[in-house]
Amino acid sequence: MLERDEKNLRLLIRGADAPFINALRRNVIAEVPCMAIDDVVIIENSSVFHDEIIAHRLGLIPLKTDLDGYNLPEECSCKSEFGCNLCRVILTLDREAKEGAITVYSGDLTSENPNIVPVSDKIPIVKLAKGQKLRLEAYARLGKGKNHAKWQPVSLCSYKYLPRININGESCDACEKCVEICPRKVLAKREGKIEVRNLLACTLCRDCVDVCPKQPPAIEVDWEKNAFIFSVESTGVLPPERIVMEAVKILNKDLEELAKQIEV
Amino acid sequence: MKVNVLKKTENELKIEVEGAGHTICNLLQKKLLEDENVELAGYDIPHPLTPVPVIYVRTKGKLKPEEALLKALGKAREINEEFGKALQKALKK
Ligand SMILES: [Zn+2]
Repeated sequence: MLERDEKNLRLLIRGADAPFINALRRNVIAEVPCMAIDDVVIIENSSVFHDEIIAHRLGLIPLKTDLDGYNLPEECSCKSEFGCNLCRVILTLDREAKEGAITVYSGDLTSENPNIVPVSDKIPIVKLAKGQKLRLEAYARLGKGKNHAKWQPVSLCSYKYLPRININGESCDACEKCVEICPRKVLAKREGKIEVRNLLACTLCRDCVDVCPKQPPAIEVDWEKNAFIFSVESTGVLPPERIVMEAVKILNKDLEELAKQIEV
Repeated sequence: MKVNVLKKTENELKIEVEGAGHTICNLLQKKLLEDENVELAGYDIPHPLTPVPVIYVRTKGKLKPEEALLKALGKAREINEEFGKALQKALKK
C-alpha cells in the first residue's frame, strides 16, 4: 500500500499479471453496486427546469451506501416494482422560494435512513426564483456501473506498470536536460548527479530518453512486468478498500459460477 | 451465467458463456495460455451489444479442453484469493 485516505487508495501490487489487475479494475467500475436515486415522483415543480432534468441531476448525486443493509432490487425477495425497505430508500425534498431567489442543494434532501445521505451537502440542484416551488419524492436503489454511470462507486480506477529508471553514472554528465523536460518532475540533480526523486509519478513517456544528448542515452526507462500501481478514487459512497474487496468477491463468485457450469 | 457448448471434440472445445464479459474471458485466456498442454486459447465477443462471449480452447491432446478450462479457472481464483488476503493484511498495518 502506498497511499490511503478517506477517498483514495493507491496500491503497489507485485506478482500479478495485467489480465488479473484489469479484471479487478473492470469489476470496480462496472460491478460493485452503490446507491443512487433511480425514480423520482415530482409532486410540484414550478422551477425553470423540466422534471426530467431535475430527476437526472438527482440521479447523479452520490449517496453514502450501506451494502450490507440493502439488496439489489433484482435480487430482493420482495420482487416488487416499487421495492421494499430492504431494496430502496425514500428521500424527500420540499423547498419554496418565499422571499428571494434560493438555490436548492443536495443537503435539502431528507432521507428516511440517516445513513443513506448525499456524500456532499453542497451539490446544487436548481435555483428557484421568488414564488417557485419544488416538492418531490425520490427513490434510491442499489445498482451497478454497467447499467448507468451514476451507480459507479469510483470516479477513477486505473493501473499502470511500476516504472524502472536506470541512469548510467559513467556516461551521464548531468546536463539536466532530462530534469527539465520531465512533465512529472521525476528527476532531480543533487551533488552533480541526476537522481530519481519521485519514481511513482513517472508515466513512462520517455521524454527524458529522447532528450538525452548521449548516444546511447545515459538514461533508460523501463517497467517491471509483474508489478503495478493500482489507484482507486472513490466518489465517497463507499471506502475505497471496501470497493476493492467487493470487486475481489465478485470476481471470485463469477469464476466459481463459471467453473460449476463447465463441470456439468 | 449460462454455458452453451458449440463444439466439442477430444481436444477442442468451443463454448458460449451468457453473462460473462472481457473481465473474466481475458483473465481466463491468459491462464489457459500459461498451461503448456494448451495449444490455442482465445475468446471473442461476436457482437458488442450481446454480452455473449465465445471461448475456444484447443489442447495438445494430453489434457481434455474442459479440464484445462477448469484448471485455468482454479488458477485465476487462487490469484484472486491471494490478492484479497494480501490486501487485507496490508490494510491492517
Ligand atoms: Zn425489496
